[in-house]
Amino acid sequence: MKRSTFVTIASVVIMVPMLLLVFSIKENKAEQAAINSVPEIAKLEPKSAEWGRYYPRQYDSYLETRKSDEIKDVLKQDPNLVVMWAGYGFSKDYNAPRGHYYILEDNINSLRTGAPVDQKTGPMPTACWTCKSPDVPRLIEEKGELDFFTGKWARWGNEIVNPVGCADCHDNETMRLTVTRDYLKRGLDAEGSEPFADANHQDMRTLVCVQCHSEYYFKKTTWTDPTGGEQVAKVVTFPWDNGLSAEDIESYYDEREFTDWTHKLSRTPMLKAQHPGYETFKTGIHGQNNLACADCHMPYVREGGVKYSSHKIGSPLEDIQNTCLNCHGETEQEFKDIIARKLERKNELANIATGILAKAHLEAAKAWELGATEAEMKAALMDIRHGQWRWDFAVAAHGGFFHAPEETLRILGSAINKAQDARFKLRVILAKYGAVDYEAPGYATKEEAQELIGLPMEKLVKDKMEFLGTVREEWVEDAATRGIYDPKTREMEFSTSYSE
Amino acid sequence: MKNSNVMRYVATCCVVAVIGLFLYIVYESKMLSYLSGDPKVCINCHTMNTHYATWQHSSHREQASCIDCHLPRDSFANKMLAKAKDGFNHSMAMTFRTYGYNLRITDDAAERIQNNCISCHAEAVSQMQQNSQLYSQFDDAVPMGRRCWDCHRMVPHGRTRNLTTTQHNLGVKEL
Repeated sequence: MKRSTFVTIASVVIMVPMLLLVFSIKENKAEQAAINSVPEIAKLEPKSAEWGRYYPRQYDSYLETRKSDEIKDVLKQDPNLVVMWAGYGFSKDYNAPRGHYYILEDNINSLRTGAPVDQKTGPMPTACWTCKSPDVPRLIEEKGELDFFTGKWARWGNEIVNPVGCADCHDNETMRLTVTRDYLKRGLDAEGSEPFADANHQDMRTLVCVQCHSEYYFKKTTWTDPTGGEQVAKVVTFPWDNGLSAEDIESYYDEREFTDWTHKLSRTPMLKAQHPGYETFKTGIHGQNNLACADCHMPYVREGGVKYSSHKIGSPLEDIQNTCLNCHGETEQEFKDIIARKLERKNELANIATGILAKAHLEAAKAWELGATEAEMKAALMDIRHGQWRWDFAVAAHGGFFHAPEETLRILGSAINKAQDARFKLRVILAKYGAVDYEAPGYATKEEAQELIGLPMEKLVKDKMEFLGTVREEWVEDAATRGIYDPKTREMEFSTSYSE
Repeated sequence: MKNSNVMRYVATCCVVAVIGLFLYIVYESKMLSYLSGDPKVCINCHTMNTHYATWQHSSHREQASCIDCHLPRDSFANKMLAKAKDGFNHSMAMTFRTYGYNLRITDDAAERIQNNCISCHAEAVSQMQQNSQLYSQFDDAVPMGRRCWDCHRMVPHGRTRNLTTTQHNLGVKEL
C-alpha cells in the first residue's frame, strides 16, 4: 500500500509540470498559427482597404501618396508643347504626375479622356485604364484580355473605381510580388535579354513598377467574340522587339509604320512617347548596378521595433537620409545640389529642343499652305517625327535626368539635331515657294498657343464639367451601391489645370 | 486489503497517464526533431521567426546554420548537453512567459558563439587574438575580451530583430 501511494503521488507530481508544458505548447502553437497564417484576401481583391486590414502600415504609407497633390501644368510652363502636340489630346491638358493616390481621379478629370455621354462615346479606348487600377487585372480575369481592351474608355467607367493598389503588385496568398499585366511578360520575352521566367525577387522589385512605367502603344488586334462578331481590341504592347533604346523603339515603330496621330499643322505621322522609365533607368549607373526601383522609392522605415518598406512611393529626395545615404557618403545638401544641377542640364537641352520642334511644325504648315508636295515634304517630316520622338522619350521618362543623365542628354542632343535637319530641309522648300524669310508666328502663353492651333478650350472644359456632373456621378453611384470601391482612396478635392 | 487494491489500481492508472502524457508531449512538441541540426527546428515555435528570417537573408545562411553558431562544437557530448540545457530553459521561458520582445543573449551563449566565430574565421582573427592579450579586456564572458558583434553589429541578424518584426509571416518562407 505504501508503494502504490508513493507511485501515485510521484506520478501526480510529475504530471503537473507536464500538463503545464502541454498547455503552453498548445497555446504557443495557436499563436504560431495566427502569426504564420496568410490573411484571407480574395484573389485580385481590388479594394486596398481589405489588404490594409492586415497590413496597416503598408496601407497607411500608401495612402500618404496623397501628400503629393500639386497640379503642375506643364503646358503652361512651356507653351511650345501645345504646338508640338496639335491634333492630339496632350495639347489640351498635360500635368506633371501626382501621387499614386490621385492616379484614377487625374485620368478621369483630364481633358484628354474627353466627355463621353454613354459607354460608347469619347476619344479614348479602354486601354487608357490599364495602369490606373487593380480593377484592371480583375476585369481581365473576368472578361479576358481581348475583351477588356475592346471598346471605348467609358465602357469600364463604373467598373474601374479603385486607384492603383495592393492587388496590382501582390499575390493574395503569399504576398509575393507578382506581375498582373501579361503584356510586360510578352515585352520582356520579345526583347530577350531578360526573359520574364528568369526574374528573381530583386528583379521583381523593379518589374512590378515596369508594368506601367514603360513605353507602350496600343496594338490593334482583331478577334472574334463568343457571338461570332469581329472585334478590334487595342492592346497595350511594349515595343521592345528591337531593344530598349530610343533608336531601337523608333525603328520598331518605323518598321510597322505605326503612328500615334497625324500632326494637325505639319501633317507629320507622329509618335508619342509614354514615360519610358524602365528603358532609361537600365542605362544609368544605378540600373547597371542592379538596383531596383523599390531600393530608393520604397525605403525601409521603422516604427518602434517594426521594420517595413514604405509604400509612399515618390521622390527619394524627400528622404535622402534613408535612401541615397544608405550607400553614399555625401551630405544631404550636396546631394540636393548635385541633382538640381542634373535637372538644369536636362532642362537646358529640352527647352532648346521644344523651341526648335515647335518652329519646325509651324514652318512645315506654311510649306503645305504654299503648295509643297508630299514627295518634297516626306524627308523633313520624318526628321520631325524622329526628333520629337527622341525629345519626348528623353523628357517623358520620369526622373530620366537622374536615372540616366548621360543617355537623356545624348537623346536630347540627337533630337535637336534631327529637328534642325528638318528645319534645314523645310527652309529649302520654303525658299522654293518664295517664302525664304518666313518666320513662324509667336505665342507667349499656353492659351495663345491653344488658340493658334484652333482648340475650342471653352467647349472642351464645358463638356468635361458636364460629364463630371452626370456620367461620372452615375459611375460613382453604381460602384457605391455595389460596394466595389474603397471610399478612403477617393476622398479628395477636385483639382485640375482648368478648374479655378 | 480492499483499500490497497484500489490504490494499486489508481497508481497504475497514474503511471499509464504519465507515460501517455509524455508520448503526447513527444508528439506535440516535435521532440525528436530537436535531435537534428535543421534550422527549421528553431522555428517550431514562432519566437525565432525574426531570427530565422534575418539569418535567412544574410550571407551566413550559405555557410552556417543556427547550431553552427549557437551550440558548442568541440565535442558531441558538450553539444548535446548544451542542447538539453537550452531546451529546458526555453521550455521554462515559453511556459511561464518570462521573455520580452527583444531577446538578449546570455554570457554562456555569447561565449559559445564567439568560440564559433573564431573557429571558422581562425586565420582572419589569429593576429587579433594575439594582440588582444596586450590590451584591456572589456568582457570576461568571451575570449579576446570583446564581442565580435559589438562592432559587426549586422552579423548576421541585422539590427532590427524585435520579435514583432516578421508579422504575418513576411520573411519566413518555409512555413
